[in-house]
Parts: sequence; structure tokens; C-alpha cells
Amino acid sequence: MRAEGSEGSFIEGLRSELGDRILEARVLGPRRVAISVKPGDHRIAMEALKKFGGSHMSTITGTDMGEAIEISYHVWCYQAKMEVSIRTGIPKSSPIIETVSDLIPGSVLYEAEARDLLGIEFKGLPYEGRLVLPEDWPEGVCPLRKDWKPDWLK
Amino acid sequence: MGTADLIIGPQHPALHEPERFVLKLDGEYVVDVVPRIGYVHRGIEKAAELRTYIQDTYLVERICGICNVSHSLVYVQTVESLQGTEVPPRAAYLRAVVHELNRVHSHLLLLGVVGELFGFDTLFMYLWRDRELVMDVVESITGNRLISAFNVLGGVARDVDQSQVKEAKKAMEYLRGRMKFYKKAFAEDPTVEKRSKGVGILKPSSALDLCAVGPVIRGSGIKTDIRADDPYAAYGEIPFNVITYDTNDSWARFMVRVDEIFEAIGIIEYALDHLPEGPIRARFPRRVREGEAVGRVEAPRGELVDHIISKGGDKPYRFKCRTPTLANILAACEMIRGGQIADVPVSLSSIDPCFACEDRLAIIDVSKGERYSARLRDLMAKYGASR
Amino acid sequence: MMERLATWCRLKSPWILHINAGGCNGCDIEILAALTPRYDVERFGILLKPSPRHADVMVIAGVMTRQIAERVKRVYEQMPEPKFVLAVGACALTGGVFQNCYGQAMRVDQIIPVDVYVPGCPPKPEAIIDGVVKLLEKAKGGAPADEGRRE
Repeated sequence: MRAEGSEGSFIEGLRSELGDRILEARVLGPRRVAISVKPGDHRIAMEALKKFGGSHMSTITGTDMGEAIEISYHVWCYQAKMEVSIRTGIPKSSPIIETVSDLIPGSVLYEAEARDLLGIEFKGLPYEGRLVLPEDWPEGVCPLRKDWKPDWLK
Repeated sequence: MGTADLIIGPQHPALHEPERFVLKLDGEYVVDVVPRIGYVHRGIEKAAELRTYIQDTYLVERICGICNVSHSLVYVQTVESLQGTEVPPRAAYLRAVVHELNRVHSHLLLLGVVGELFGFDTLFMYLWRDRELVMDVVESITGNRLISAFNVLGGVARDVDQSQVKEAKKAMEYLRGRMKFYKKAFAEDPTVEKRSKGVGILKPSSALDLCAVGPVIRGSGIKTDIRADDPYAAYGEIPFNVITYDTNDSWARFMVRVDEIFEAIGIIEYALDHLPEGPIRARFPRRVREGEAVGRVEAPRGELVDHIISKGGDKPYRFKCRTPTLANILAACEMIRGGQIADVPVSLSSIDPCFACEDRLAIIDVSKGERYSARLRDLMAKYGASR
Repeated sequence: MMERLATWCRLKSPWILHINAGGCNGCDIEILAALTPRYDVERFGILLKPSPRHADVMVIAGVMTRQIAERVKRVYEQMPEPKFVLAVGACALTGGVFQNCYGQAMRVDQIIPVDVYVPGCPPKPEAIIDGVVKLLEKAKGGAPADEGRRE
């Protein structure tokens, strides 16, 4: 069984790597930690996680938070046995962020999915076209944005 | 080999067949693969925001009927984690029992489908007949054959009595005997060997880079299983082995599932023998507090992960679900890229995809300058015999 | 029920085309289960056929997205007369739990005429077989009856 506070000491370990790039850190539960960083620092955070065996991208969540779009990268760290969610926010008016698919190739389809559903542009993403939406889905229509409603709701 | 002047040939451009993958073929070899999964997109994540947490329990089960237990389990666990609710121990054990029964039926289903793909109609029939035993046990415990509606917020919906426990254990004992026959069939049959050994190689480094999950990554020798590394339900207290094979091929991925059935039978027996007394359900409020949680379970196909954000209230603000098949698609592309078209059906089946043999692939034949659409089943019929 | 099925099938062996529109696949595996030894409809001559040109009955399950709807209509047109349609599962009937999801476009009977509806989520193999029996009884005259069919 895990020792208590292992999530806390994991956060301390991350702080020693990333310093005040970590804007906020929270324990969500056993083996669950979330940290917030500025966009741009998300890549540095991901590189730091590799030192803890953080190489498995579980998934990437994009969420419409009103003014901003929040992106969470959920990374499983094999050695530390910890699921770390790296959270960052980008403006909805200009939702552009650098890809992480060169750091963790398994991220490609998750970024493509977030692009389809939220209109996030991942610079350097090596996947073109639609992944989850039908190919003839209209450009610029992002179904997971809060202001988009399906026909029956309009 | 130019790719610009490709799309000519028998397929009428206006006829758009919905296709899972687009394959570029040069002679017998697959030179490139692109996945497209848009045509079955239902819009579940959006729908979940418009329904209450209770309603969503039933929605998420229908993301995939085959591994529905895993979907409802990861969902309720994630919401419970958000709320900070602990389920009673008896519920945790019962959840593990039904989760493993779901694993057994899912693996038996896949092995049957693969058997049929190899031309062994009899093997398919035997496997699905024995699978019916599992369906009976699931029906006895949960009330339903397939979509179980067993996991609820706070615990499980129904308790078990001694006669159900006895019936379940009897069925598991019989099934273990049958599995010895099936293990031999998959491990030693010359046709199975010829068509799956060395087919669809996925190197361990690729499996890790592409973030493969489940039997796919374990068939490349990587020992990782959420039940062991990130335990949930009662798995922290139940002994079992994580199965790996290290030949990195489709055969390894089938054998991992065969052995996982044995392990699952063992887990079910242990859990039923050690069922704690007590209630099966904790109280759970209709309105969930603000916060977020990430849940992970080892579904039959691999890591299944939910991320839920709550702003307080009876409906989730954001529901995200990543199915294991999506996680394995890049690995599947890697398996078939550079290989022969004849191996594609077996390699794709080895990831136990959430799609059917009826699904189509778009094939762009560079050497002939043709584009056509084919079902996986047709590809197997056309090329299967050539190996 | 099995005797009525056996009687009908001595007269004609219905060939079935199974369309999986996509969705959770629950109905599809219960349809397949009906062909396996526990239920074994094959002993009545019911055979699964891959091509619409050889099929008498289309058995369809799943959520009708827009793309699927086009394909289903095309396949239905390729089937020779007399042809029948069995819609299986809540999603094909009404959209089921996916009603009002933006991916779901319509019900099966908005695309093609349906002869028998088998509700359930998923329906048990026994219910599916019962649906097949009702379909064959209805079709006993040779041509599909018009009353009860929705266009």
C-alpha cells in the first residue's frame, strides 16, 4: 500500500524541477495530481515529467471555460505510478498552442480530436483533416464549445 | 511514387463509403495508413453535459456495449472520486467480479471472431457457446445479459446470495477446463501460427512511444496493468498475475487474452470466496460538489480513462472519455505499415478493435492507380489464403 | 415459437443481410449470438449473407448517423424483391439513449420501410428470433403486407 503523502512528495519533486513555472498544484486523489502552467511551459513540464517515467499520454482534454479554452494533458508516470494532469489555458479568441506530439508521439490523435471538437490549433501537429467528425462537417463549427447547440436545442 | 495523381478508378467520387482507415498500397505492401473514425461519431461527450449524473450512468454504458461494465465503472469511480465518496467493501468486490466477467466475455468474443477470420467456423461456434455460460452468470448477478446497469453512484445495484455465488463458481470451474482446450488451439495450431506469428510486429519502444494500452502493449512485453499499478475497486486486495508475452506480434496479443481469461477466472473465484459482509451502496447526493477527477480502469481492450469537471450541480460541466481502441490506433497503423496487405485483417483484429469486420478500409493502390473500398472481411477472403 | 419457425423455413430459407450502423455494437453481438449453438437459427436455414443481392431480409441495428443513412439506403435499393427489414434495438427504432445527440441523424424508418421492430437495449437473442418469426409470418403471402409498414 502506498505511503501517505506520496502525492505531496511527488509535487515537491516536480517543484524542484520546475520552480515557479508551476502556477498551482493540487492533489485530486490517490495517485492523481494536477498542476497548472502557462501555455508554452506545458512542453517544459512534460519534459520534466519524463524524469519520473512520465511517458504515457492517457488523453488530452479540451474544455471551453468561457473566455479561455483549458487544455489538460493527462500523463501516466510509470516509475512514480502517478497520473499527472498538466493544465494550461489559451484564449478562445486565438486558441493556438504548440504540439507535444514530438515529445510523446501517442498524443497525435488526442490533439486532432481536440482540434475537431474545440477548434484548438496545435502548431506542428502531423495530422491533417478530420479525425472524429465526418469529413463534410463545416469548418469553424466546434461542437464542444459551450455556445454551439445541436439543432433541436436552438 | 507520386501521391498526387492517385484517385482514379472504379470508385465513383460521389459515392462516399464511410471508412475507418485509408491505406496506400504499392504492390502487396502497405506504404502508408491514415485513420479516420468520423462516421460513427455520436456526440456523447456533449450529450453528457445535458443529462444528469444519474442519467449519464446509463449513457456511458452504451459507448461500447461489449465493455459496458468498464465504461460504467470508470464513470462512477470518477464521479465518486470528485465527491470524495468511498464505496462499501462489499460493493468494491462485486464490482471486481462483474468487471472480470465482462473481461472474460469480451476476450472470448474476440477470440471467436479471430477464429472465424482464420477459417475456423467450429472454433468460433465453440467459443461463443462457452461464452453463453458467462452471459448466464452475468444475467444471474446483474439482471441483464449484456448491458448490465450494475454499477451505480455509490456502489452496485444488486446484491448476490449464496446460490448465485455457487452457480458462478461452478460456471468458472467448467470454463477453466474449456480454456485449456482453447489455449492449446491458439498456442499450437499450425494455421494460427502461420497467420499470426511474426505478423503485425510492434516493438516495445514503439508501443511505449505510441502510448499503446492493454493486451496490445502487454503483447510487446511491457508489464503494465491498471489493476496492479493504479488499483481500483477491490484489486488492491486480490492476487493475480499481469500477463505479458514478448514476441511483439499478433500471436502474442491473442495469447495475452487467452491467459488473461485464466487470471480473470481466478480473480472471480477469489473475490466470491472473500466477499466482505455489509452494505452494497453508499449514499450519493444528486448534486455533486465543484472540482475535477480523472478515473482509469483496465478495460478488456486496455486503459479506459474519464476526466470529469464539475462546477457544482446535478450535471457535469465536462465529460471526457478516451476509449482504449483510440489509444491503440496509432499502434495498429504501425503494425500494418510496411507490411503486406494479406496481414492487415489479422493485425487489426489483434488490437480487438471496437469496430467490426463489416467496417471498411479505403485502399489507394499506388502501383495500379486505383482507389477502392473493401471490408476487412473481404480482404481476409481475398488475401488470407496466400499466407 | 420454434415449430412455427421450422414450418416456415421448410418452405423457404431466408437469407439475412446484417447491417451494423455503428453505435455500441450491443445489438450486433446479440444478433450474432442468435446464430451460435445456444440459439442456433442456422438449423432453420437462416443464413447470414454478405451481399445485398442475395438477401431476403435486412437486419439492421445501431445509431443512424448521416453517413450511415446514405449507405443503408443504397444497400436497401440493391436488395431484390421481395425484401423485408427487421429493425433491432432502441437506437434503430428511435435513437434510444442517443436521441438528441448531434451525431444521431434519424430513425431507420425515416430512411427505409421497416416491417418488424424489435425493441430492447439490446434485445435478447430470443426476442430477435421472435422478431424474425413475426416477420416471416407476415411475409407468408410472398409479398410484404402494406399495413403496419411505415414509409
